[in-house]
Amino acid sequence: MTVFISGGCKNGKSSFAQDAAMQLSAGGKRYSVATMQPHDDEDEARVARHVRDRDGLGFETLECGTDILSCLEHADKDGSFLLDSVTALLANEMFRDGGLDKAAPARVADGLMNFCGSVKNAVFVSDFLYSDAARYDEWTEGYRSGLALVDRALAARCDTVAEISAGICIMHKGELPV
Amino acid sequence: MDLIFGGAYQGKLAYAREIYGLADSDIFTCTESGEIDFSKRCVCALEEYVLACVRAGRTPESTFRPNAVLICRDISCGVVPIDPVLRVWREETGRYLQRLAASADHVVRLFCGIPQTLK
Repeated sequence: MTVFISGGCKNGKSSFAQDAAMQLSAGGKRYSVATMQPHDDEDEARVARHVRDRDGLGFETLECGTDILSCLEHADKDGSFLLDSVTALLANEMFRDGGLDKAAPARVADGLMNFCGSVKNAVFVSDFLYSDAARYDEWTEGYRSGLALVDRALAARCDTVAEISAGICIMHKGELPV
Repeated sequence: MDLIFGGAYQGKLAYAREIYGLADSDIFTCTESGEIDFSKRCVCALEEYVLACVRAGRTPESTFRPNAVLICRDISCGVVPIDPVLRVWREETGRYLQRLAASADHVVRLFCGIPQTLK
């Protein structure tokens, strides 16, 4: 089963995603795919907190900031994979060489479609960045439209699509695993 | 009159094309000119029309043909812009969406390409 979760920041997405991954992985391997590439002490602390929280729940952490399929090389594909977040994965791919890689969104979407077809269960977390009144520079707007392309592909492909708002789940497709 | 709204890049126009069988010739895309071709069934990017109206000090028109399909971006959920024009734009677009939604027969919000019927 595949689950796509999005919404605004600090609305409870990660918590819903973690619960979904726990339910899906009952009796099987559970992996947490860590996509953030830490850049400073604050990032390091955030990563350490996530790893500590999820180790306690039996998640094995797979560090994978780019080339998402590479994290499956040494993983049990019959397991359940929590990928938090699509947002970080695209940023890493799009700005990896210090430039703007306009081919990254389609490549990331392809990789994630392949990922969905390769594993038994997956839960993806993204961020909803699309309802503000700002006028952005070319890079930010390109990133925003690119993330939306990846989000739409995942929402079309996944069995379940949920929006989390103020800790409340709005179902757009399917059901969350219980 | 039907209203389709949602965030940027959520698949609003693709949804309208599919549901209403729209051809390119049925669609008018608003620009900063502030003009609307009311003979077209589908008017999209209404948020750009609202911005043009804000700049011109006009009230945006909210009467359309009975079978109109209107598409507008939701720009209501971000930080208040520093630019005073964008600040008014953000609020006027919110008010405009309320007026359109009140008089629309159907209202659909798009989320990552998935429609949610609100009315």
